[in-house]
Amino acid sequence: MISHHLLTLLVFLPSLGALLILAVRKSDALARLVALGFAVAELVLSGYFFTLDTVHTLYPAPAGFFQYENVHWIDFFGIRYTLGMDGISLLMVALTAFITVIGVGVSWQGIKERVPLHFALLLLMESGILGVFLALDLFLFYLFWEVMLIPMFFLIGIWGHGRRIYSAVKFFLYTFLGSLLMLVAIITIFLMHGAQSGTYSFALVDLIGTKVPYDVGLWLFAAFLLAFAIKFPLFPLHTWLPDAHTDAPTAGSVILASLLLKTGAYGLVRFGYPLFPDAARAFTPLIYAAAVFGISYGAWIAFAQKDMKRLVAYSSVSHMGFVALGIAAWSPIALSGAILQMVNHGVTTGALFALVGMLDERTHSREIDTYGGVWGKVPALSFFFLLFCMASAGLPGLNNFVGEFLVLIGTFKVAPLPAGFAFLGMVLTLVYTVRLVQEILFGKERKPLVMHDLSLREGGILAVLAVGAVYLGVSPSPLLELVKGPVALLVGVK
Amino acid sequence: MLGAYLPILVLVVIACLFGLGSVVFSSLIGQKKPSKVKLQPYECGCEPVGTARERFSIKFYLIAMLFILFDIEAVFLYPWAVLFKRLGTFGLIEMGVFIVILFVGYVYVWKKGALEWE
Amino acid sequence: METIAIPAINLAPIMPEIILSCIAMLLLLVNVFVPSESKGYLGVLSLVGLVATAASVVSGWGQPVAAFGGAVQLDNFAVFFKLIFICSAALAILISDKYVVREEINHGELYPLILFATVGMMLMACGMDLMVIFLGLEVLSISLYVLAGFNRGSLKSNEAGLKYFLLGAFSTGFLLYGMALTYGATGSTKIGNIAGFVATNPQVATNSLFVVGMLLIAVGFSFKTAAAPFHMWTPDVYEGAPTPITAFMSAGPKAAAFAAFIRVMIVAFPTLKHDWTDLLWILAVLTMTVGNIIALSQDNIKRMLAYSSIAHAGYALVGFTACNPEGVAGILFYMLSYTFMNIGAFAVIVLIGKKGEANGNVQDFAGLGQKRPLLAAILCVFLFSLAGIPPTAGFVGKFYLFSAAIKSGYIWLAIIGVLNSAASVYYYLRVMVYMYFKPSEEDFDWVGMTPAIAVCLLLCVATTLVLGVVPGTVLELAQKAVQF
Repeated sequence: MISHHLLTLLVFLPSLGALLILAVRKSDALARLVALGFAVAELVLSGYFFTLDTVHTLYPAPAGFFQYENVHWIDFFGIRYTLGMDGISLLMVALTAFITVIGVGVSWQGIKERVPLHFALLLLMESGILGVFLALDLFLFYLFWEVMLIPMFFLIGIWGHGRRIYSAVKFFLYTFLGSLLMLVAIITIFLMHGAQSGTYSFALVDLIGTKVPYDVGLWLFAAFLLAFAIKFPLFPLHTWLPDAHTDAPTAGSVILASLLLKTGAYGLVRFGYPLFPDAARAFTPLIYAAAVFGISYGAWIAFAQKDMKRLVAYSSVSHMGFVALGIAAWSPIALSGAILQMVNHGVTTGALFALVGMLDERTHSREIDTYGGVWGKVPALSFFFLLFCMASAGLPGLNNFVGEFLVLIGTFKVAPLPAGFAFLGMVLTLVYTVRLVQEILFGKERKPLVMHDLSLREGGILAVLAVGAVYLGVSPSPLLELVKGPVALLVGVK
Repeated sequence: MLGAYLPILVLVVIACLFGLGSVVFSSLIGQKKPSKVKLQPYECGCEPVGTARERFSIKFYLIAMLFILFDIEAVFLYPWAVLFKRLGTFGLIEMGVFIVILFVGYVYVWKKGALEWE
Repeated sequence: METIAIPAINLAPIMPEIILSCIAMLLLLVNVFVPSESKGYLGVLSLVGLVATAASVVSGWGQPVAAFGGAVQLDNFAVFFKLIFICSAALAILISDKYVVREEINHGELYPLILFATVGMMLMACGMDLMVIFLGLEVLSISLYVLAGFNRGSLKSNEAGLKYFLLGAFSTGFLLYGMALTYGATGSTKIGNIAGFVATNPQVATNSLFVVGMLLIAVGFSFKTAAAPFHMWTPDVYEGAPTPITAFMSAGPKAAAFAAFIRVMIVAFPTLKHDWTDLLWILAVLTMTVGNIIALSQDNIKRMLAYSSIAHAGYALVGFTACNPEGVAGILFYMLSYTFMNIGAFAVIVLIGKKGEANGNVQDFAGLGQKRPLLAAILCVFLFSLAGIPPTAGFVGKFYLFSAAIKSGYIWLAIIGVLNSAASVYYYLRVMVYMYFKPSEEDFDWVGMTPAIAVCLLLCVATTLVLGVVPGTVLELAQKAVQF
């Protein structure tokens, strides 16, 4: 019985953990342990899905989905509780489970107030994100899409730094506004499909076949694009991101960068393009422009930052530009590269935020000016810092290189010009990364800093992330194999 | 359609003109010989005593309101009495219900002490 | 002497009103005859009365019965609305007990007045004759004038009572004048007969008497639903009235005004539909926008919720503008949801407040998240629901209303609606910002939960979440309730 509802278990197991933590609230230590237990259990469960390669489902699944659940929910509107997993979702789910464990790990000691609530929110967040990655009913997707915002709002607002309240509210309003227009578009296509076919349904598989007049399709796609582009974030809708990332607590930044941004890209791949292929084609030049500009702009602004966290935040804008580029190209290679880049960026940027958080915990400063000559003091930490900076800069052999390379190759075939500009942007990436490494790790000591090297916990977290980065860099083929089928189905290439 | 209401409009206009006219013309044409007595407020020909802005006890208002309430309700009894026979038992029951509701109000007012002066 | 033929009288359709009136009168007498300082037992008796009334209302579901020559009609539409009124009255009574003791206004008349107001609302919902609707409206309004000024010792409450009375009387004048003109044009006050007259004499649609009559009726009801630009009384009255009464007024009477508004417009003036939907379009946009924008700058939380209630009337007007079965069913569902989420929020305000209506500012909620985590979480549910964030009743309600508007082709109205929702999030979030992100400056003078408020909160939270997650059954009921 349970084997038919594994996806439900997968989505709601973290919520269960969150409720348990909130219900007990005995001690902070217990809350941490329970959170870690559930996060690890979730990771194991998501790993289990890698072993299920054949179709294993009670319900007739659409092509490409090897796990599928489809149950009555609100028949009144034709809303069904539909979860489905294909290779793309599986990668995202695994990334989510992995990053949540990291998130629990990095906030183990940094969070000292209202500890149970913090860990409960982390787990709730995980549930919301998993729901987004698995929902195949647009109503359900929208529900998870909104629910996901709430824990992040509280994470930034309660445990954040600086202008945390401003950032939290800005984050919420910005993303909420975008998604509301998407809701109007969802309702519109729902009604159009109902009027055409006579049966009202929110299921993605049903709605894909809707005949949308070209000009209406443009508006609808624009509404979807707005919601996803804000999350992405595509230039010029990225302004919430530096604030939110900078002011969030470490775990919040890690999850924001590694997971929340991916929901925007995932939404575009799963819903935006398949629902409105014609409109998407019309918008492609715009997305190219936003992506290419975002890559260079993000890198350029990152170079000017004094705050390390802000620097990493802007680097996210730059890196996510590659994902947008790959999606816009919509060819098998570029799309696979974009999906791989989503995972890579999740690992690398998550690690960088974790490292910045660790430095911040030691010196209570995120200003680049404060540091210098760190290599001599904390070699282990510095080693990881260097490793992930290099990964972020796209050093061959490390993870980001593979994704960006595939995106560039794939895009070059379809649209050489944007690919060329993106390549230039990559060079800029190298510039600010080298500057960061040079000023912090090497250079001379600007202020006397008392620092201790990595603790066992921190070392463990970074080592796991490093293994991930190297593995993804050296042997990405199993992952590419996983997304090959779904990508071919999406792009329509046999 | 609205033409039927024209006489009413004419009447309203004439009434307004008449009211305004008498005030305006008498102040324009009339002689003005003010004296102390003339300027005093009129109080039935007696010497005015005290200020005209005297405050009355709230109890007067209360009693007055209650009086109006029950008095107006009593008006309903007249047409009912006239048609009593033609209304038959139904009329009796209806009026019974009406009186009971009034009575509830009366008892409430009584017990609440609204009828006591002190 | 021949006897006057008395038409057969069927009391069944107004049985709920009869039951509730009798109980209210009984309570008046009990109040003066039982010498007890505590008036809580009256609350219990009223709740019993409301439950009995609800049972009688429910029995009318599915079999529309008209009586009094078609002047009243108990149909599904009326039943659904009556249940909303009963819920709002019951919830308001549940949150009153602690409040009246704290504010030293523990007079037994509170409960009969709430019940009489409910009787008035119920008459409005089942009235098929303009005069019955007017009668119900007056019974409701007069009770509410007294309730708004119930706190005699408080200047603000006095102001609320007087203001409500003056503007209420004013709006009633509009309504009555509109009814008179309509009667003059069509020769009947019965909604059905008006519709019949209009159907057989289509040229009446160009008769200025008739059109002005309809407009005045619309204006009168817009006052009662607090639609902009006829909303001016709302903030002062809601702020000044005792909190449980504010909760009650924002839920029940607003729904009652909508019930009568919808029935009169859709049944009596179908031929002028294009004219009054245009009018409603403007009203809806104004109402949503004015309510939300002014709410953004409010510090007093009752005032903020007053403006937010204006905005919510605007969302309901979106469904009304759509003027299709989905839109009306959406209003029914939304009013039900709004009753629970809004009174729930007011229940928390009652708990946080101090004597003399103190502690009513959003700043006073600082630190609630730490001091009273459960209460803060519950308030969050209500606020998220008011903001229309899933998975809550408020979201499903808005979803229904906006999809009805889109279905009728009012896509821009829906877009303006969602943009308004986005703006509204700001002031709801603001309360949460204080509750969770700011430390409290002083210790909470915690008076503690009473069983009645606990029951109210539990009911409200449960309903808000259940209607948000599994709304299917209630949605179907709302759909079946769309019959006039």
